[in-house]
Amino acid sequence: MAAAPDRVEAVVREALKLAAPQIGPVSGDTHLASELGLDSAQVMDMIMEIEDRLDISIPVASIAEAHTLDQLCDSVRRVLEAA
Amino acid sequence: MNLFDKFAPLAELRNALTARGRVSSVATPMDNVQSATTATIDGKRVLLAGTNNYLGLTFAPETRAAAIKAIETLGTGTTGSRMASGNYLGHRELERSFAEAFGWPSAIVFSTGYQANLGAISALAGQGEYLLVDADGHASIHDACKLSNATTIRFRHNDPENLDRRLQRLGEDARRTLVVVESLYSVLGDRAPLKEFVEVTQKHGAMIIVDEAHSFGMFGPKGLGICAELGLLDRVDFVVGTFSKSLGGVGGFCVSRHAEFELLRLASRPYIFTASPPPPVIAATQAALDRLLAGDDLRERLWRHIHRFYKAVNALGYRVGSTDPGPVTALLFNERDQAIALWQGLLSEGIYTNLMVPPSTPAGLNIVRISLSAAHSDEDIGRMIEVLGTLAKQIKPIAA
Repeated sequence: MAAAPDRVEAVVREALKLAAPQIGPVSGDTHLASELGLDSAQVMDMIMEIEDRLDISIPVASIAEAHTLDQLCDSVRRVLEAA
Repeated sequence: MNLFDKFAPLAELRNALTARGRVSSVATPMDNVQSATTATIDGKRVLLAGTNNYLGLTFAPETRAAAIKAIETLGTGTTGSRMASGNYLGHRELERSFAEAFGWPSAIVFSTGYQANLGAISALAGQGEYLLVDADGHASIHDACKLSNATTIRFRHNDPENLDRRLQRLGEDARRTLVVVESLYSVLGDRAPLKEFVEVTQKHGAMIIVDEAHSFGMFGPKGLGICAELGLLDRVDFVVGTFSKSLGGVGGFCVSRHAEFELLRLASRPYIFTASPPPPVIAATQAALDRLLAGDDLRERLWRHIHRFYKAVNALGYRVGSTDPGPVTALLFNERDQAIALWQGLLSEGIYTNLMVPPSTPAGLNIVRISLSAAHSDEDIGRMIEVLGTLAKQIKPIAA
């Protein structure tokens, strides 16, 4: 199972918008917690939205080191590749 | 930069919560405690409506007498793990009492409720296995997942269909999966769809552990909890609970319908590498459990209070966290200031409750949490309703 990389980024961005609607344009290296101010509950909502849209399960540990949008996209791609 | 810099946002939150009044809603200092329902805060006697003392057993004559007797005969502590010098007769008898109450072959006592989840969950699922946990689970559940070497996946809160999809994706690995849910969530007071969770779990050949921390003692036959109430004890694999709520002590337990659960004593780090609960705690808990199993009088009294209170707060226009009345009532606010104003207003009128704000609350809600006790009098409940009625006019909760 694989999704095109741009599809992953689109889904991650859509999930971010749903979890934090007030946030404007975000670059790939923006830190989700310290720069956007997302709390752990918002990040968790975002992950679940990504899981539902891509029909994958994302292990908690696989995103532990994903602090930016780009890093999160990379983590999601790795889960997709392993699925 | 130093190690403390990362705590700056917490300092800001603490300051925001304490600026309004002299008494902090965080770690509110109790000067003294007189009974299960009264304490002194800031030099003033208050009614306690923010504890987990659901059956009021902290001051029951039989629990106090048992603790005193245990100190006199066995001393104040065990100074050892259950695996070493801390394995007393009282520990084993208490485990037997829990196992017999559930009609199951195995029960293990842990030193705290937190450690019960930590000890059971982290040992049950290991490397190459899976933990599927409700996203709104207690910190002890999420910490247990971190301690375990299993792969942890969260599913949407109280959503069996969402769990079903995740188990489906695991395929054959679902048989090496432990599903972790709570029966009653402590912040909003909402109940889990346990029957549906059990059905989904069994469909995929997984196992399920149910945390009954806030329901044991209050629900089901003999107060055994919501699994017992729903007739699920022949299908649920493990029930975990705490001594520090309805039982009025400190400690935790996990019971199982699988005899092999006994082997966790040799594998569970939070069980092995900590001192066992001290004799007075075990003796008081045994007395509390005996009292709880002996009759329904305390539960009946608590439920009478619950139904009266739940009806009243809804009629006053408060937004309540759960459609199921229970020992916990969460009053919800969109604005933090509204919740702080209500909490402070209640305390000014001599009623202590709990204030909970993001990020430790679900859906970014601001919550005043009120918990009832069988030890409350009818007058106590009446006083809470009266003060909430007065404050509703000032705070206008409907507009939240």
